[in-house]
This record gives sequence, C-alpha cells and structure tokens, in this order.
Amino acid sequence: MAEAVLVECRGLAVGYNGRPALRDVTFNADTGERIGVLGPNGGGKTTLFRALGGELEPMSGDVKVLSRCATVPQTERSRLDYPVSALDVTLMGTIPLRGWWRHPRRSERASAREALAAVGLDGLESRTFGELSGGQRQRVLVARALVQDARVLLLDEPFSGMDVASAQRLSELIDRLAGEGRAVLVATHDVEQARRWDRVLCLNRRQIAFGPPDEVLTMQVLEATHGGTIVELQEDGEHVAVMPAHHHHEGGGGHA
Amino acid sequence: MFDPFQLPFVQRGVFEILLLSIALGVLGTWIVVRGLAFYSHALATAAFPGLVLADGLGFAPQLGALGIAAAFAVVVGRLGAGRRELYDSRTALALVGALALGVILASDVFHSGSNIETLLFGSLLILEPRDLIFGGVLSVLVVVANLLLGRSWLATGFDPDGARSLGVPALLPDLILLGLVALGAVAVLTAAGALLAAALLVVPAATTRLWIRRMPGWQIATVLLVAVEGVAGLWLSVEWNAPPGAAIAVLAGSVFVLAAITRALAGWGRMAIAPAVAAACVLLAGCAHVGGSSGDKLAVVATTTQIADFARNVGGDAVDVHQILQPNTDPHEYEPRPSDVTATAGAKLVLESGDGLDSWMDKVVSESGADAKVVDLANRLPVTVPGETSGPEASQYDPHWWHDPVNAEAAVREIRDAMTAADPSNRRTFEGNATAYLAELHRLDSGIQRCIDSVPPDQRKLVTDHDAFNYFAKRYGIQIVGAIIPSQTTEAQASAGDISRLAEEVRREHVRAIFPESSINPDVAHALANQTGAISDLTLYGDTLGPTGSNGATYLTMEAANADAMVRGFTGGQRGCRIPGVG
Repeated sequence: MAEAVLVECRGLAVGYNGRPALRDVTFNADTGERIGVLGPNGGGKTTLFRALGGELEPMSGDVKVLSRCATVPQTERSRLDYPVSALDVTLMGTIPLRGWWRHPRRSERASAREALAAVGLDGLESRTFGELSGGQRQRVLVARALVQDARVLLLDEPFSGMDVASAQRLSELIDRLAGEGRAVLVATHDVEQARRWDRVLCLNRRQIAFGPPDEVLTMQVLEATHGGTIVELQEDGEHVAVMPAHHHHEGGGGHA
Repeated sequence: MFDPFQLPFVQRGVFEILLLSIALGVLGTWIVVRGLAFYSHALATAAFPGLVLADGLGFAPQLGALGIAAAFAVVVGRLGAGRRELYDSRTALALVGALALGVILASDVFHSGSNIETLLFGSLLILEPRDLIFGGVLSVLVVVANLLLGRSWLATGFDPDGARSLGVPALLPDLILLGLVALGAVAVLTAAGALLAAALLVVPAATTRLWIRRMPGWQIATVLLVAVEGVAGLWLSVEWNAPPGAAIAVLAGSVFVLAAITRALAGWGRMAIAPAVAAACVLLAGCAHVGGSSGDKLAVVATTTQIADFARNVGGDAVDVHQILQPNTDPHEYEPRPSDVTATAGAKLVLESGDGLDSWMDKVVSESGADAKVVDLANRLPVTVPGETSGPEASQYDPHWWHDPVNAEAAVREIRDAMTAADPSNRRTFEGNATAYLAELHRLDSGIQRCIDSVPPDQRKLVTDHDAFNYFAKRYGIQIVGAIIPSQTTEAQASAGDISRLAEEVRREHVRAIFPESSINPDVAHALANQTGAISDLTLYGDTLGPTGSNGATYLTMEAANADAMVRGFTGGQRGCRIPGVG
C-alpha cells in the first residue's frame, strides 16, 4: 500500500482560554500506521485529539488532517444506563452525512449494520448499549467511527479496564483497521501499550519525542514524559528498551 | 363507581391531566436520560416566589412562575457548563433561597395565608381555563421539539464530546430542553404544586424506565402512565377526600415501588409479575367503594361549625347538613377538599358565614357547578363591628359576628327562611325548630349577660390569641386590651415587637388571664403569660366549635363555656359561671 500522509502537525500549540495545554507538537501519521500517543493524565493526549478533530483551533503552528477524522471516546465516559441500542449508537456516526435533525435513511441503517459487522458485533445490533461488555461497547464506538468513513481514527485510552481477551480482540481490530489503509492513533498512559505500535508520540504538555518505540522509549524520554516519577525498570535500569514478553505482541498488520 | 367523573370540576381536572400527560411523559424521559431530576425539582421550587408574587399582585401564576423559572433555567444552564458538583450545590442554594424568598413574600409582604398551601401542593380541582390552554400549548411544543431536537438531546447526553465532534449542536438544543422542562414544571405547579411537581414529571418516567429500554417505546409508555396515574390519582382524591396533588404523588410513588419490586422479582422468573399486578388491582379495588347519597332530604352545605350547628337545629331530620370545616380547624386557613366540592355539587342550599371568613367557598360553589341557593349570613345582621381595611381578609365588617347571640338569632331566622324556600313541604318543621332554638339563644344571651355582670367592669380585661371577640366584648361590656395576633385573621403573625408591647400592656392593665383559642397553637399565649404572671390555662372557642364531647360542641355550649372561662380569668380563677339550661 502506498504510504500517504493523513495527519500532519507542525509546531502545534493548543490550549484552553488562551493558555496552551500542549505545545511543540510536530509529527505525521500515514496510511496504515498505528501510532501510540503516550503521556500521563493531563499530558495533552485528549487535547491533541480535540485539535485533530477540529474542536480546538491551534494557537500556533499547523494541523493538517487530510481525511475525515473520528474520535472513539473512553467507554466510561458514555452513560451505561442509556436507552440506546448498539445500532442507535452506531447510527449517531451517520449524523455528519445526513444532518443531526434528520431521521436515518435505510441506506444509513445498512451501513451502520455493516460497521457493526466489521467490528465483529453482527447479531448484537439491538442489544442495549449498557448490556454489552466493556470490550463490546468499545467496539460499538469504533463502529460509530467507521460508519463516518473516517480514515483517521483517534482512540482515547481504549484498553483501560478491559479484560485480556477483549483487549486481544480490540488489538486485532486496530491492526485490521490500519491494514485497510487508516491511520489509527491510540492514546495510552501505559508504556507497555505504547511499545506495540508502529510509532510513539510522547507528550507531557509538550512533545517529548516521536519515532519508533525502540528508538524513542529511552529512560530519559520516559522520565520526561511521566514527569520524573517513572519507576525503575527491571534489569539494570540503564537500557529501557528491555521488553518483557507480552502476551499478545504479534506482528503489526499495518506494516505488512 | 366512576361517579366522580360526572362532576364538572373533576372532568376539567381529567382534561387537564390528559392534555399535560403528553408534555410531562415526554419531558420525563428526557429528565431521566439527561439527569435533570434535581434540576426540575429545584426549578419547580424556585418558581414558588413567582407564584406568590402572581397571587399577591393578581396576575396569572404561570407568568410569575415562568419569569423566575426562566431566569433559574438560564443561570443553571450556564453553571451546568462548569463542574458538576458545583452545579448541584449552586442549584441547591438557589432552591433554598427561592423557597425562603417565597415564604417571606407570602407571610410578610402579601400575607398569602391559605393560598400558600395551594401554591406548594397545588390543586387540580381549582383550574382556570388558562391552565388548560397552557397545558395544551406545552404538549404541542414538546412533541415538536422532541421530533426536531430529540436526536441532538440523545447524542449529547450519550457522549457530549463525541456528539460535538459529529457536528451535533449542543448548546441551543440543550437550552431549549432546559426551557421546556421549566415550562413543564410550571404547568405541573397548578396541578400538583411546587413540592410535588416531581411526582408527575420524574416518577412516571423512572417507573417505565425499569421495564422499557428504548427511547420511543419508553416515551409512549410514560405518556400513558402519566395519564393513567393522573386520572386515577384524581379519582382517588375524590374518593379519599385527599388533595389531588398528594393523591397522585402517593399513587405514582406506589406504582414505582411496585414496578421496582416486580422488576427485581422478574429476575427470578416472570411468574412473579402476575401476582404483584393482581395485588395492585386488589389494593386499588379495595379503595374503590363509593359512599351512598343521602336520599331525598334537603341537602345543605354549611361552611363553619357554628352555622352548621344552626342549620342542624333548624333543619332537624328534614335536612342533611354537610359541614365543611371540622371542629378546631381554622377557617382562615382552610383548603377545600374534593368531598366539599362533591357535596356542594349535590346541594340545594349553601350557607356561608361571610365577611371574608370563608371566601374560598365561592370558588367551591363555582367549581362544583352547583345551582344551589347561596346564602351569605353576614349580609343581613343587626349588629356589626368594623372590619379590617387592609390585609388578606379585608372586609367591611369583622367576620366573627356569631359571638353576639343577637346576630345568631338573625342568622337562624335567615336559615329558616332559606330552608323553607328550598323545601316548602317542611315549612312547619323548620318554623317549629327555629322557634324553639331562638328561645334557647335568647336564654343564652341573658345568661351570659348575668355572668359577665357578676364581674366588676374594671376587671373585664380581655387578651386573646387573635381579634375574634369584638362582638362578644361589645355586647357584654368587656374591655379588649389586646390580642397576640393583632388582627381579625389568624393568618397574620405577631412580631417580637408586638408581643413585647402587649406584655407591657398586660402588666400595666393588671390583666389576670391570657386566653388561648382552641384552634390556634397556644405556645405564644403561654409564653406571654409566663412573662407577665397572668394565667393562660383557660381556652376560648374563637373561630370554631369544639369536637363532640367537649364543652364547646354546640354553639350554645361554646358561648356558655367562653363566658365561664372569661369569668374565671377575670376573677383570677376565683369562680366561674354556669348558665342554667345550657352546657
């Protein structure tokens, strides 16, 4: 697959009420690429996603997003006792196509069903959102992003609170989505998580580093990213790239 | 069994509930989905001072409530953008402030008195045409907004950030939702009052939510449930003679509990639902017995205990008297019950005490749709005392006219004539009874005169709870030193300054007794007595007769008991005074 730039940031600074929450961000994301966005809580991950999604105007620098961009929020933030089905939630993704005040058309319902099938939830369309498992809910939200035909997906802490099997399935889904030519940005505050992706963007109110995990995740970078509170790694503490065997570290489909 | 629905005022209440159920049911689901229950309760309460203002200044209550509710909605809507806990605590502060403001306005500015109860608890029985229009317009607005904005409300509530990134506008639709909830709360105010608004706005939606998981079905079910609970509650209120707002609230609460229990049981097996529903039906059916009517006697409604006593004495077995006020209830602060309206609907003759004491009765008469003859007994009295020129019950004459037996005699004659006109076939009975009773009244009058005359004039110094004994004092030569509530109505309140001035007066005049009244809390009288060394253990019957078995159960014994108590008080408890043939 020909690599093309989907997201490009140059010296980006964004923030709220005139105060920057994140600055000096310079990176790009290409088709088929999975990028880990690593940083502590409050480090600017969600702020970056908002800037990419067009909700926040850059205070300085440039953001270019060359495709539709969809955010997949944390499921904890979505109400579990909400009177909507998996299909209802997915249909919310068709709002940009039809206008928020319009009733969804038959074709939009069909594409919502397809999106649910694509994330492996066929047959569960009419299940109430709160009745689904955490992993299934996350996948519904991914389906909501897919139905927008977005080629840039922003996943905000998608693995938090998820059991091993669900995380495995989601991980595979992310690989597949990237393999289909999307750029997938996955926010996390977990270093082990970040190692799994093609490139890592380390943020702590500014950009600390950007590059392949093996090059980027050094002790210095991690300390800067986590504000010096990083725990000593096992081994001698000098070589941070030591990676304990992880249960589902498998070949990245995106770079096939 | 559905007899109550024949009555015009009940029909109007049913109509109002059916109109409102659409708005309330749909809004209720959004209130539950968007977590606005506390907001809507606060809003209804916040509207309270607006209602008081409207009541005091005489414009439509909806306008007053709406003004304040809209301001509240905007303020809270803006606060809602901030932190949630801050929003809740500010809402609570605004709520308490509004309630306090309402109480101050009601008690110290407008002296709203009995109307406060209506404003806080509402009355479906006293609806104006504008209430119906408001309900209908609101339901249309809510349905239209639901169709146009429902998707935005749903998406924003599900995930505000996600909705924003999908291009769903949140601010304006949400403000419209808050505004509609405000309108809904205002609409419920007239029916259920400020404190029970949640019963109709929130509880039905929360109930159906237990069973239905998807939006459209939930909305339809909630509309139906509001309609059913509202109508059933109204019917129960007529059957139980309870205020409609409270009946609906109790019903809605019970149904919710029942639904929650069956929901929990359904987890073990749906078999449990049937018995629970059956139990509920039995419960409702058990309450569904209707009392029989009185046959072909002349049906008379009398407002106060004393004129009902007159009516029973004159009518004897030939009449059936429905007495609205019960012993020891305060006529100044009475809120009519459904049974009063039903009784009035079937009455041929309505007897009012008049002079502003029972002005609520006119509304009952018009709501009942009765074509009864209404007799205002205060209209043609031989003895009058000037009334108050200002305040909630300003009237030309002091309304406590019955404490002069000469007036009582005139009232009895009036009642005799009215009964005769209504039922000429019993003319003889009425005339015979009246003549006998008039003789007793005459005996009472001279008896009281003798009692009071036995006390030297300079010792006849009367201090009572409120200004109810001007006629008595005038008739028998008693000096009124003061009253704790310096007003002819009990709805006024004594200030600390009034009390200390009165205490001084009591000491200076060497008043020996402070007389509490049977229908008024005696605490202040006791406190004043402690402070001044007077006694306060002799109770007078001021506004109502005493209960059956007391020494003031009839007009005759009540006045005799008052005379006895006064003689005891004036003489420092040395002696009383019995009137032969009475009590």
